[in-house]
Amino acid sequence: MAYEKVEVYSPRSLAEALELLSQKRELIKPVAGGTDIMVMLKDGVLKEKELLNLSFIPELSYIKESENRVLIGAATKYREIRRSPLINAYSPILIEAIRQIGSPQIQNLGTIGGNLGTASPAGDSIPPLYILNSRVKLQKLGSSREVQIDKFFLGPRKTVRESDELITEISIEKMDPGSYYFFEKLGLRSANAISIVSAAAILSLENNTVKYLRLSLGAVAPTVIRAVEAEELAKDKELNEELIDRIAKLAAESTKPITDIRGTAEYRKKATYGIIYEALYKIMKGYGKKVEYGFENTS
Amino acid sequence: MEANVSFFLNGKKVSVKAPPAKSLLRVLREDLGVTSVKPGCEAGECGACSVLLDGQVVTSCLVMISQVEGKSVITVEGLEKDGELDPLQKAFVEEGATQCGYCTPGFIISAKALLNENPNPTDEEILEGVSGNICRCGAYPRIYNAIKKVVKKDGV
Repeated sequence: MAYEKVEVYSPRSLAEALELLSQKRELIKPVAGGTDIMVMLKDGVLKEKELLNLSFIPELSYIKESENRVLIGAATKYREIRRSPLINAYSPILIEAIRQIGSPQIQNLGTIGGNLGTASPAGDSIPPLYILNSRVKLQKLGSSREVQIDKFFLGPRKTVRESDELITEISIEKMDPGSYYFFEKLGLRSANAISIVSAAAILSLENNTVKYLRLSLGAVAPTVIRAVEAEELAKDKELNEELIDRIAKLAAESTKPITDIRGTAEYRKKATYGIIYEALYKIMKGYGKKVEYGFENTS
Repeated sequence: MEANVSFFLNGKKVSVKAPPAKSLLRVLREDLGVTSVKPGCEAGECGACSVLLDGQVVTSCLVMISQVEGKSVITVEGLEKDGELDPLQKAFVEEGATQCGYCTPGFIISAKALLNENPNPTDEEILEGVSGNICRCGAYPRIYNAIKKVVKKDGV
């Protein structure tokens, strides 16, 4: 079996982990929750023969406030993010997406940094991170840098992370109070299904006029994308059915989907239109979710 | 490649020598003889190998044994107390919530995790709580009834 040939290092501090990474570089693969790596190992597609187990480094797991941002340690599990009063209050779109990731079992193992490191175009935490103007902190022995989320991914399963760097923190923006948001995904089953299409949006309205729209799409291009043309079109316009139709059309046109076992490219384009139309329509009719900065509801 | 790992299995300390990247599922079955954890998909999708890891439900196929050092692992064998089955186990028997039985330990573990955290879940919370488990016989209504039975007992 493939696992018999694999060595695992389990450092107890970040310093120790960075030291190991600087020595071994591309020979070793960092593992956070393990929900992707264990499947790669079983399928015999993991090329590294050494794993860097990050589960015993408490300093990589935290959620804290920093002015207009919330900082999340890379090894923070989905479970903890979902239950975080800070994120529920300030950046609930991330909660909305994480509720729909995997299953309780996966949410108890998987981490946000792991989702970034895996860099699947269908990673469900990623569309909200795009519209929260997130920054990814990469640390190596003796230095660190921050990368804007839209500069972090190079393609499916490819990122700008150098082999001696570790993803250590994700910084997200606090959403404006009163803004609307949604995260919608289509999959074959409500739990544990890889997204066929996903969309995340933040919509700020004043007297039914769009102050700004931020819209990102998952699983319809080599990386998650922002639907920039649709965002620009929406600005300063009245939110009505005609505008919603044009936004959804422009967003669908901005996709570059593939045909695979989960859906055809044509289906993905149509579904992109459909989920955006429906979600914006609900907001227009008063059924949208709104950022309240409230601290009661943490499920 | 071998590593020594110690952890608490159903309350008792155990030590195993195993390849460090071997899954907790395979260590439980092959090295410790705990066969209630079932290999289904071995990709985290079916939930048949679910265990409680430090009290939280996880699919043991996705956990490396190296990650378990010092932690607590509970399988269905660990749910009975003083020779008495757990109320959930009893309810599964009484409601006939099992057809072939392959998924049953995983479902009970998921339901246990849910009720430990939230003794009075709503229907929606019950369905989400076991959403990571699949029953290919389609015994879902009976599984739901069994969980609901325990909720009602505690709730009233």
